Amino acid sequence: MKLASNKSLIGWFFILIAVIFITLFYFYPMLQALILSFRSGMGVNLEFVGLDNYIRLFNDPVALTAIRNTFIYLIIQVPIMILLAMFFSVLLNNPNLKFKGFFRTAIFLPAVISLVAYSVIFKYLFSTDGIVNKFLLNLSVISEPIEWLMDPFWAKVLIIIAITWRWTGYNMIFYLAALQNVDKSVYEAARIDGANSFQQFFYITIPMLKPIILFTAITSTIGTLQLFDEPMNITRGGPGNETLTISQYIYNLSFEYTPDFGYAAAVSFVIVILTVIFSMIQFRLGGDRK
Amino acid sequence: MKKWLTVITVGLLTLILSACSLGADKNTYEETGVLTAWAWDPLFNVAALELAKDYYIEEDESFELEIIENGQKDIVQRLNTGLSSGTMKGMPNIVLIEDYRAQSFLQAYPDAFYDLSDYFNIDDFADYKKAPTSFDGGQFGVPFDTGVTGLYLRTDYLEEAGYTPEDLTNITWDEFIEIGKDIKEKTGKLMISINPNDPDHLRHMIQTAGVWFTEEDGRTVNISENEAVREAVRTYTALQEEGIAHINTDWSSRVAAFQSGEVVSVAVGNWMTPSIKAEESQAGKWTIVPIPRLSVDGAVNASNLGGSSFYVLNIPGKEKAAEFLASTFGSNVDLYQDFVTEIGAIGTYLPALDGEAFKKSDDFFGGQKIIADFITWMEDIPSVNYGMHTYASMDILIGEMQKYKSGKELDDALIDAQKQAEGRLSN
Repeated sequence: MKLASNKSLIGWFFILIAVIFITLFYFYPMLQALILSFRSGMGVNLEFVGLDNYIRLFNDPVALTAIRNTFIYLIIQVPIMILLAMFFSVLLNNPNLKFKGFFRTAIFLPAVISLVAYSVIFKYLFSTDGIVNKFLLNLSVISEPIEWLMDPFWAKVLIIIAITWRWTGYNMIFYLAALQNVDKSVYEAARIDGANSFQQFFYITIPMLKPIILFTAITSTIGTLQLFDEPMNITRGGPGNETLTISQYIYNLSFEYTPDFGYAAAVSFVIVILTVIFSMIQFRLGGDRK
Repeated sequence: MKKWLTVITVGLLTLILSACSLGADKNTYEETGVLTAWAWDPLFNVAALELAKDYYIEEDESFELEIIENGQKDIVQRLNTGLSSGTMKGMPNIVLIEDYRAQSFLQAYPDAFYDLSDYFNIDDFADYKKAPTSFDGGQFGVPFDTGVTGLYLRTDYLEEAGYTPEDLTNITWDEFIEIGKDIKEKTGKLMISINPNDPDHLRHMIQTAGVWFTEEDGRTVNISENEAVREAVRTYTALQEEGIAHINTDWSSRVAAFQSGEVVSVAVGNWMTPSIKAEESQAGKWTIVPIPRLSVDGAVNASNLGGSSFYVLNIPGKEKAAEFLASTFGSNVDLYQDFVTEIGAIGTYLPALDGEAFKKSDDFFGGQKIIADFITWMEDIPSVNYGMHTYASMDILIGEMQKYKSGKELDDALIDAQKQAEGRLSN
């Protein structure tokens, strides 16, 4: 009896440390940010304004543009990336593939590169007289260089290309790990029943990967909602506000302009709310309804 | 078992408590007597501080100053986070702030800066430096460099097209575009390099008319009824539409545009001189004339782009820091000669401008006395209150300018910009 209560005491003690730190460094700041979002003013001259910041948010065209841009990235980029990651992982899981280690490393490598470093390199690759334009021109795919950084449409495409390049390998690793846990006998049985590769992929692989698809979809969605480094370093949000993201707008409100931390906090709560909503939708769609 | 638990708990608690009380409330100056200063650009601002420090040590041997070099963005960020947190711990004694941002700091953190009115005389400095550095009757900044602008010209390209630098002296931006089209036709060279995502030309264009995005109070948004803003946006877009502008995307491609000889002119602050001279093969091929003006009433051929000033934070060591700035940047004529000869920085301290260093001719610019010319133009810079919202207004305008470029009516774009600015900045 004595031993048991002692053990549970020690258990509580270990949890306690984590709880204290999480409360101190997560929940307390979140609460403070929420309180801050009801205040507004320049720098330290903050005063309580109630819901004004949130009302202002819905009348602020720049904030709405930032939200719209973030959605465009989300809706286009996340599905492309997840499909690509799945595609690569299936290819790399092929037992007959040669140089497997090399390919796996090559595709995963972008994920370990610094966000700022790759962003800056992308900016140079895709500049008007950059190598991508030269390449496309020489192949006669295009007749004049694409203004990747100056054209509202192509700038968005560029950001999507960049984040897809950076994160596909990262997500692929999850699929690869999951695929290796799939029993080979399932595929054998399917082949004996006459299923072709496509059928195997759609009726076995995808259902088997469902929990991982859900997981990667949610983490990618959250990641995209918080997108900052790429637009900041590649396009600075431009042309105009065409590639501005919510996080970048928060940064601008706090550090670029005369700081209004209250309003910036309100905008950041938009990310929180959107994250919760999207996660719930994805759980609904992807989770098992039991 | 119990004993161990107690030991661990006590150990952890002491660790946490000691971490909390580390350093207490004292700042570096109180502990060590060393002042700290934050500035960006090691070859320019930091170098200037070093020179000033050397001068001051001759007066006061015990003087110690640690100069910490940081990017401007980092300094802005750190100041904002530090000052808004309420503690002044870790803040420097002296900090360099760009004139466009100064009012934003002075008004957002009213008690954070130390009034220097009693230490030096602001009337000794160029007039246009006064508005950004003072607030509410107090003088908080010691003006440093001038951002006086000029139009750097490639004389060889002009000659090829049949022009002389005189043809581009004291012109309007509209005339600039006309000449640009002609030069492009004759030489194939583009007239100017611009970055529509960071259109700093807009700022010096607008200042030629003596106005800003906000009215003189620095708060009331003044965009849709502002003829100068309208003209600047129209002109800037015309530069692109007329096909005479090279588009750069960042600093390095901007510098590369003139160093590689792609463009005929550079319209920018005098701080670009070192970058222009860095391409030695172009020695003798450059000259500088006054910046073009906007086609609005009262606009002059003189403007400013950038430039910054030193501020003292209201923390222990402020008196010492203020004395240091006052006896160097605030009054030392010799120091300003050194700024010119050693780092190419043109100060705004008027009594120093008669010095010999300011009259030298520069062979790179065909023997032109460029410093003397810049000083002459500096006197004509219209004084403008940059207010608190320069960069916020700029970003709004960049957004609307993009829409104007893709077909929106200019008046509608400006009215929308005005509305956005009013909505965003009225707090």
